[in-house]
Amino acid sequence: MSQSRALGADTFVLHGIVLAIVIVAEAIGVLRIPIGIAAIVLLPMLYAFAMGIAINPNITRATARYLTPRVQKFAGGMITIAITPFVAKFGTTVGPQIDAIIEAGPALILQEIGNLGTIVIAFPVAVYLLGMGRETVGAVYSIDREPNLALIAEKYGLDSPEGAGVMGVYATGTLIGTFIFAIMPTLIHAMGVFDIRALAMSCGVGSGSMLAACTGALTTAVPEQKDLILGLAGASNVLTYATGLYVGLFIALPLTQWLFRKARPELY
Amino acid sequence: MANTENLTLDIESVDERKANVGETALLLLIACVIGTIANYVATGVGALEAFPGMAILFACSVAGLLMARFVPLALPSVAWVSLFAIVITIPGFPGSAWVVEQATKINFLSLATPALAYGGLALSAKEFAIARKSGWKIVIVAICVMLGTYLGSVVIADLTLRFFS
Repeated sequence: MSQSRALGADTFVLHGIVLAIVIVAEAIGVLRIPIGIAAIVLLPMLYAFAMGIAINPNITRATARYLTPRVQKFAGGMITIAITPFVAKFGTTVGPQIDAIIEAGPALILQEIGNLGTIVIAFPVAVYLLGMGRETVGAVYSIDREPNLALIAEKYGLDSPEGAGVMGVYATGTLIGTFIFAIMPTLIHAMGVFDIRALAMSCGVGSGSMLAACTGALTTAVPEQKDLILGLAGASNVLTYATGLYVGLFIALPLTQWLFRKARPELY
Repeated sequence: MANTENLTLDIESVDERKANVGETALLLLIACVIGTIANYVATGVGALEAFPGMAILFACSVAGLLMARFVPLALPSVAWVSLFAIVITIPGFPGSAWVVEQATKINFLSLATPALAYGGLALSAKEFAIARKSGWKIVIVAICVMLGTYLGSVVIADLTLRFFS
């Protein structure tokens, strides 16, 4: 790819639109909407995403002149690049908390296994409640972000039923994941059952935007523990980056396949 | 748009090893400039004051990209980026106190905002079509997947913390 791809006039229009969206989103700022004992936290990133969708040429035809499929594809690449400084910032919250993180070390490592909780909850719902077929395997084996998508693509191909399942959850997660992760942790925290450290370290699910939404919600709910929340979440997210693919490949996917063969032997 | 083949997502962006480091560094610079403005709007910290912190984050990002490209280990660049940022802020690392002080001037939420703006703009006709075609069942499953991943980790972490304290 040549320099012109990064420096073309059309991509500058894209950066300009993003800048305008970001300024509006940050000017609105964090909003807390109390509901009973908990509160729904609305974050600038949510408004930014919603504004991006509203301007998206597939929703608003008028922008198609500037946001061509080529520019949109470029914008897709920019997501990964724009999230990188955020990931670095998260890293800098980990170092100062290193003592608290080592103290919580066993929990931090074991909670990675907790990511298999997706199978515990989503598998029975998909198979027994919704009567889904082989899509189930791709859909429920992991949180279905990019590395998990790549794994299914390699094993089954994305045009298989398993591929349809992983893509469906991927696309849905892309559309509503940030919103879910901004709401869910505050509601679970409001139950008053779980240690804030447990809630914080579970934010590291291997997706930058979900991590951002989750920690944004928790730090708004418990501002006095901000440094601890960010440090633990950041450490857990690094662990997921490093282990997620392997947990998926060697544990989660074989386990989901085995469960599915037991539950629906006629489909194999 | 009816058959699944047309709806296959394009996942070539997953292979970051093919990316041109120079071009990526330039785009990172653009992202950092937008992030600095976002940070200013959110916190009132000016560009000059935020500069050392942003420069540190930029340096960690580029270093991570280079590691992912040239070290033959199956670690994504974000893992390397995190490792660099963690190491330079651990107490005892030369200058760590200064690095932490500078990084504190950058609001973490403001750095996620640009990425999601790009994300909203990048959604393709295919992604909308997949979400529409998959239907309400997949939406329910997706919510269960997110809830299960989070809650599973919360329960295990909480029990382990209780057990070890």
